[in-house]
Amino acid sequence: MDFTTFLQQLINGASLGSMYALIAIGYTMVYGVLRLINFAHGDIMMVGAFFTYMGTAAGLPFSLAVLLGILGSVIVGVLTDKIAYKPLREAPKISLLITAIGISFFLENLFNVIFGGVPKAFSAPEYLTKVFHLGNVYLPVTVIIIPIVTVLILSGVLWVLYRTKYGMAIRALAFDIPTVKLMGIDADRIISIVFALGSALAAIGGVFYAVSYPSIDPLMGVIVGLKAFAAAVLGGIGSVTGAVVGGFILGFTEIFVVALFPELGGYKDAFAFFFLILVLLFRPTGIMGEDLERSRF
Amino acid sequence: MKKTLSIVAAAALLSGLAMAKDVVVGVVLPLTGPIAAFGQTSKGGLDIAYEQNHKLKNGDNVKLVVLDDRGDKVEAATAVKRLLNKNHATVILGEVASGNSMAMAPVAEKAHTPMITHASTNPRVTKGKKYVTRACFIDPFQGAVMAKYALDNGMKKAVVVTDAKQDYSVGLSKAFKKAFTAGGGKILKTVLINSGDKDFNAQVSTIKQMHPDIIAFTGYYPEAALMVKQARAMGVQTPFIGADGVGFPELVKIGGKAAEGFMYTDHFNEAAAKSPEAQAYVKAFHAKYHKPADSMGALAADAYGMILNAMNECIDEGKAPTDKECVNDKLRHTHGYKGITGVINIDKNGNAVKSAVINEVKNGKFVYKTTVNP
Repeated sequence: MDFTTFLQQLINGASLGSMYALIAIGYTMVYGVLRLINFAHGDIMMVGAFFTYMGTAAGLPFSLAVLLGILGSVIVGVLTDKIAYKPLREAPKISLLITAIGISFFLENLFNVIFGGVPKAFSAPEYLTKVFHLGNVYLPVTVIIIPIVTVLILSGVLWVLYRTKYGMAIRALAFDIPTVKLMGIDADRIISIVFALGSALAAIGGVFYAVSYPSIDPLMGVIVGLKAFAAAVLGGIGSVTGAVVGGFILGFTEIFVVALFPELGGYKDAFAFFFLILVLLFRPTGIMGEDLERSRF
Repeated sequence: MKKTLSIVAAAALLSGLAMAKDVVVGVVLPLTGPIAAFGQTSKGGLDIAYEQNHKLKNGDNVKLVVLDDRGDKVEAATAVKRLLNKNHATVILGEVASGNSMAMAPVAEKAHTPMITHASTNPRVTKGKKYVTRACFIDPFQGAVMAKYALDNGMKKAVVVTDAKQDYSVGLSKAFKKAFTAGGGKILKTVLINSGDKDFNAQVSTIKQMHPDIIAFTGYYPEAALMVKQARAMGVQTPFIGADGVGFPELVKIGGKAAEGFMYTDHFNEAAAKSPEAQAYVKAFHAKYHKPADSMGALAADAYGMILNAMNECIDEGKAPTDKECVNDKLRHTHGYKGITGVINIDKNGNAVKSAVINEVKNGKFVYKTTVNP
């Protein structure tokens, strides 16, 4: 591998990694509060991408279409919580987990029925699909924008969590739901806010995913959802910064497996998950995760 | 009196209906999922063929039961079981992806039920099978056509992109490499991808530093569209050549300008279809769908036609159209069947021997370049 190719692969890794990071943050947010691995997160992301697609197809300007996408995701996310998760608040965690998987299948099949399974071309505006040339190295503009967006969202989320009353309530919920209720806080409303926030993050992730890889289908959230989940676990689930670190590690691993051994490129997912197992063997709580019982963001 | 007459007439009609039986043709297609375009286009052609003719010589009705396998191997095999046990299908038609057909074949084989795949090109689909036939050519031929076309156009150094998850792609890559090196070409590298992948930047960057003359892409259209797009965005101008798995409108819709110049081998192009059978089909297709006729639909219509043909031959011999052994025998010995995609002869291994066309994407359309005979 010559130096330009190496630089190019670094950029490719950053591009893929920031994408995983962006989606992993949402995963970790919901987990941090509810101790629920929301397996439908990848599908909420798909919902966001599809609503945005519908917006652009209806002739809306891209920014408005993205807003529509976020709104669509938030509504679907909050509705899922109200309909599927809320009746199970007192139930064992495993019931919630199974329900999340059910919701995931439901959303995939619902969109399959409505839109059909043929991948749709996602049209992104020029300013998001530009590619800069630095000598022989190609730098897609999303590689710059996505990390910026990720950092902005990360600081936004941290600000909400640590500087607002809602954030305080969210953090309190993460510790002990019954006690929070005793203090007169409407726990269900706060949980809805968490889902709204998580879904909005998923939608933003979905839009950027669709901009980078402009082919969307009802099953697009499955693999990327798994990867983002792996990233969140790798970084230490429940830790927002850990999700970002995990996302980048996963992205770089995948790219460099292909770059160094193109013949093994078909097994890059295996390498990525092998790496995950390796990390968990030595640090069961992930890289940034502390003791599972004590880790709250 | 009038009333009695009409009752008698109604009774006669009813008994007539009761005598004409339904013969079930079970169809398994990927109607949803990542390769849904394969299933959707196949279904489009099948519907036209069905509307044109679904009566057998003895007055029996052919009934199509179409199941969706979402492009999944396990679902495909399960669908065959369901068609056999629940719908009592006489014949199974499908799938498109070779891997899925290979999952279905053992089930049909075990139940001694004839199965015809209209579009699976991997040789192993029919290999060693007594009850599996196909309406298309096989990959050793298709790979050789790709290789010859590249070599004839002065392309001597190739990178092969293989989809490790698809038996089709693995087999086709092997066939291409064999023919390409035998013709004096050099394979620089084989790059592996997976169906469902969206990011090919790492592969593209690796390919870029090797400066090949041609990229032989043996996978399916969803990955082809994204890969060619990412390659062009990274300044890789090397031409791509693919096979019958890439020639779908999504290649152009998703790939956009990047898909321009993408060459591929295929079973059918309406611009080259001159026979009366093909022209009648193309006319009906345009009237119904208002777009150019695709190859998957034409193949599905041919496979369906071959089934009807076989059943009618059984009726001629005084056997029932539901006689699986007879229908299978006739299918396996199809000779000189005038199909939409050309004259179909089935060889001793159950494979159709017929010509291939080469198409190229030009101004967003699939333009016919040439026909290659076996």
